[in-house]
Amino acid sequence: MTGSAASPVPIPVRVGVHPGPALLAGVADGPSLPAHRARYGDLPTPTLDELHRLVSAVGLRGRGGAAFPFATKLEAAARGRRPVVVVNLSEGEPASAKDSALALSAPHLVLDGAVATARALGAREVHLVLPGDRPMARLRMLAAVDERHDKVRLRTHTADPRFVAGQARAVVELMSGRTNLPVTAWAPEAVEGYRRRPTLLSNAETWAQVGRLVLAGEPAYRRLGTGAEPGTTLLTHSRHGADPEVREVPFGTSFGDVLPPLPAGAAVLVGGFHGAWTTWGLLAGTPVSVPGMAAAGLPLGAGIVHVPATAGCPLGFTSAVVDYLAGQSAGRCGPCVNGLPALADAVRAAWQGRDTAARVDELAGLLTRRGACAHPDGTVRMVRSLFTALPAEVAAHRDGACVATTRAGVAP
Amino acid sequence: MTDGPLLWYLNRATGVVVLVLLTLSVVLGVLALGGRPGRGLPRFVTQSLHRNLALVSVVALAVHVATAVVDTYVDIRWWQAVVPVGATYQPLWLGLGAVSLDLIAVVVLTSLLRTRLPHRAWRATHLISWLAWTVAMAHSVGIGTDLADPHGLAVLPVAACASAVMLALAVRVARAVRRPRVPELGRAA
Amino acid sequence: MSRRLRVDWPACRARGLCHELLPEVVDLDEWGYPIVTDAVPDALLADARAAVRACPRLALRIVD
Repeated sequence: MTGSAASPVPIPVRVGVHPGPALLAGVADGPSLPAHRARYGDLPTPTLDELHRLVSAVGLRGRGGAAFPFATKLEAAARGRRPVVVVNLSEGEPASAKDSALALSAPHLVLDGAVATARALGAREVHLVLPGDRPMARLRMLAAVDERHDKVRLRTHTADPRFVAGQARAVVELMSGRTNLPVTAWAPEAVEGYRRRPTLLSNAETWAQVGRLVLAGEPAYRRLGTGAEPGTTLLTHSRHGADPEVREVPFGTSFGDVLPPLPAGAAVLVGGFHGAWTTWGLLAGTPVSVPGMAAAGLPLGAGIVHVPATAGCPLGFTSAVVDYLAGQSAGRCGPCVNGLPALADAVRAAWQGRDTAARVDELAGLLTRRGACAHPDGTVRMVRSLFTALPAEVAAHRDGACVATTRAGVAP
Repeated sequence: MTDGPLLWYLNRATGVVVLVLLTLSVVLGVLALGGRPGRGLPRFVTQSLHRNLALVSVVALAVHVATAVVDTYVDIRWWQAVVPVGATYQPLWLGLGAVSLDLIAVVVLTSLLRTRLPHRAWRATHLISWLAWTVAMAHSVGIGTDLADPHGLAVLPVAACASAVMLALAVRVARAVRRPRVPELGRAA
Repeated sequence: MSRRLRVDWPACRARGLCHELLPEVVDLDEWGYPIVTDAVPDALLADARAAVRACPRLALRIVD
């Protein structure tokens, strides 16, 4: 039974935050509102048109994992009546720490982005969804809310400590006073979300980017990154047995230039538990970029790069991750409830040396696009990437020659 | 209006028919529509049978009520068919019949509107069927004029209906105990 | 226009009536849950509506 398998990557208690060129420029000044205002000045109040022009000009995309164009969401939310703005800080992915990093180091940049957008939209409420299992980030954000006096109301909610609790519909459910689990979305949240109102829900980093854009202006924003992809993004560098480190990286930089080097054949998980396996050799030359990574078949996702234990085995680690993800299912959608444990069995069998590639393919078909949220889809994507990116590892297990000594730092 | 015994016989006969039809509908609903598809009839056949039996029982119920009211042998007014208090003839048992009629009306109306209601609301309302059937049963036993006759056969349909529903309930409970829905339904609330 | 059946997955309990009524478009997986294989052709629209109405969990919708 996989009901309560723990995450092979623990939820971080401490987060290393490196000072960065834009969002994380003020790390040394501390997270207070006076320090934030001293750096950026008062929050401007752009009109909806001005805000839309800004976010379209820099091609701002959502930073929660789907990289959806922010301007499109903004347009949708502006069309309906009484829109609501939601800052999603729930960060259900254990290997991610960038939203916590923002909460701890630049909470007012996040809030400025959301408040400026709310005012442009004429929204009266900004909802903050805080993580239930990261108390430091949650308390820092609550303290930041107490420091402010905005013309919109800031309301806070605390997400359940569960992987799928941060999914957009699950967040709307939480705000509506129902169980914090995904439900079927018949329309996008930006069209019909909280109380059937247009709901502009974005991840904390997205709001921090909006905040930076509004406060510093387009020319300053464009000084970093590339012409096609201006600005920066946050990466969580997660390693077995160490605190995660969050770095802010201009788009277009290659991973090899920002992360400490590894052996070329070392397995690296990009994009988190719903991401994809690759090797350091391939990743090092790939640019930090949504289209650039897509060309290499990799998701930027929420910007996670996880390096498993040196002596560990990527198959064993994947098996532990799928056990965990199967247990994190909301338990509501039949294909997920039945399919993820079956997938966990198939991956465990592959790790133990059996040839289960055909079964994995079959389950992939039964799990994809058959749930209220993308939890099964993301899990399938990650598992399949193991078979395509690390075929030699998989073959070595079939031949009974696993070179590694541990599953996830835990003896097999 | 006719005073002959025809209406009286018709009334008592439709009473038995309504009870039997309601019982069949309840038994089908309890046994066949929950859980997973299995052997036997296709699900949609069982479902239509359940629905159509219920609708036929509504027609029979209309005849049952109409004959009781029109027949002048006992004094039953139109309003007494739906208002459970104030009847002069057998006030308690007739009142139960009126309660049952009202409950059945709620169940039928919500089921006709089922696709437009939230599923949970419909389902909660549909559980009223249990109460409606039980009250109808009490009404039959209490007001059924032939049940007092020790040589009569009237006790047979009533006993059969009661045992059928009890049996269906027992099977459903046993099924739930033996095969918990955990693997299919999941564990989270 | 192309109409499709969409399943409300958290509501679905694998009762299987949709497959019985519309085998052309709805298959069942190894656990009894529907696999919507295709768009609903115009000729089957009435059957698809019947399947939507028959779903004991109201977990099926036709979307454009």
